[in-house]
Parts: sequence; structure tokens; C-alpha cells
Amino acid sequence: MRIMFINNNGSGFADYIDVQEGLTVIDLFERQMPDCKPEDYLIRVNRQPVTRDTQLAEGDRVSITPTKIEGAGC
Amino acid sequence: MKPQKSNKPAHRPVQRDESGELAQVLRFTPAAWAKLYWFCHHGETEIGGFGITSPSDPLLVIDFVTVKQKTTCVSVIFDDVAVADFFEDQVDQGRKPGEFSRIWCHTHPGNSPFPSSTDEETFARVFGHCDWAVMFILACGGKTYARLRFNIGPRGEMLVPVLVDYSVAFEGSNHEAWKAEYDANVKPDPTDRMCWGLVESELDPESEVELLEQLEEPEWELDLEYESEVIP
Repeated sequence: MRIMFINNNGSGFADYIDVQEGLTVIDLFERQMPDCKPEDYLIRVNRQPVTRDTQLAEGDRVSITPTKIEGAGC
Repeated sequence: MKPQKSNKPAHRPVQRDESGELAQVLRFTPAAWAKLYWFCHHGETEIGGFGITSPSDPLLVIDFVTVKQKTTCVSVIFDDVAVADFFEDQVDQGRKPGEFSRIWCHTHPGNSPFPSSTDEETFARVFGHCDWAVMFILACGGKTYARLRFNIGPRGEMLVPVLVDYSVAFEGSNHEAWKAEYDANVKPDPTDRMCWGLVESELDPESEVELLEQLEEPEWELDLEYESEVIP
């Protein structure tokens, strides 16, 4: 099945990818971002936050975006 | 044949380092720079956002866009959901992540644009998985700091000069829209007792002068190859 996938790692990605039926959110995260920690990202499906075991469906739009972007003066 | 509009400058400013090699330069269009500068000085707190870059030139910032953020006079933290919305909205507008999430911009109080340990931690954790990224800091005093980091291939990083490029086409200022965006996104932390405006009644004038001097004259100095400064 086809889903839309958005993330910022590497050169960044915002396009459709083919995934297997029944793939969960955490499966997708581990497949697409193998060296990253899930707790450092906000994972949403169709703009809604989801649990790690949520199963993806045809046409879903998954975004994995960084969290805790903070700066501070010296 | 009709002339086509383009963000491509008539010429690219060329800078060379001491060895004569071509140097990378982070450029802002005048409109993007004006907006960032306006945001920097509109309130009492730090602010931050992303530089939107030209599809044809990843180091030409054509717009500065903020997301909802909690700010104090010495810190800024983006709202996680707002960042996710920003990414999805930008994709909906037809941009690629490389055009809207590689130039991380924020401001510092006083005159020091040099990154803090918090800045370094964020740059490594958030942008360390990108193929490249820039940490750009504008100090309220006008000094700038820009560091370009490559996370692929041999990896490496360098300080890059910053300039406002008047050779590109640019729009005028839009203070009304900028104020609306500022009011919608920049949320000063009401518990921030350091903010001068909030503690004015609690500080005697001598203490306030002392605090300002401490902020503007850091006791330390970094040994950098060069420091860029924008002269608008």
C-alpha cells in the first residue's frame, strides 16, 4: 500500500512510499530512521498524534518531525 | 518572449577565504532580513524560526517564518505540534524539507551571537541527522553567527559569512502582517523574571545597569577564524 511520508533526516523526504499492509508506526520509524530515538520526534498520522502500535492504512500521511527545538543566550 | 520572474540573482557575490578558495556565504534577501530584524527587536525576548531558502540556492534565505514558541529574554523553545504543522504546511505549499528546515534561526540578547551549550545541543540532536544544516544567530546588537555543518560524506563544519543580498528581487516590508505573526506565535513566558520589562519595578537602576553591562560585555571570548557581521 502507499502512504505519504514526511521527515527531515538525510536530505529530507516528502513523498509517497510503498509499505506492507499492517505496518505499524514504530515499524515505519525503525525502518526509515534506524539510528534515531522515537522520543526525539513527534510522530503524527494525518496530522494527529498516534501510539507506536497504530497500524497504517492506505493513503495515510505520516510525519516525523523533531521536538525540543530550543535556543538560549549565552 | 515574456520575461520570467526569478529569484536568481543577477550575479552571485563571491567571497574567497585566505587560501583563495571560494567561500560559502549565507545570504538573506532584504525582505527576509528585514522581517528577521523586525522580529528580533519587536519584543523583549529571544525569538526563533526557520529560513525558507530558494529552490535554486540553498544558502539564499528568501523568507523567515516563525512557529508558535515560548520565549524568555534568554531562551526560545518551539512548540512541537507547531513544528509538525509547519512541516506539513510547507509540504502542502510544494516545498521540500531541504528548502524550509535547514536554516535554523534564532536571536540572542545583547551583543553576543555565539551559540550557547543549549544551542549546540539542539543543533546536534535536531539537525545532526540532516545532510546539512545551518545554525544562524542574530544578536540584538546586530552581530551575526552562522555555522554550516555537513553530516554526510567526510562531514565537517565551517563558519560562513552572512550578508544581505540586494541583487535579488525583493518585496517591501509588511509590518502589519509581521506583527500579526509575532502576536500569534511568540509567547513570552509570564514567569520569566529576568525579562527587563517584567522586573522593572523590582530592580533598582544600578542593578539594571549592571545586568545590562554583564549581558553586553561577556568575560570570555572565542577564538574564531573570523566573525561575520551584517551591514544592512
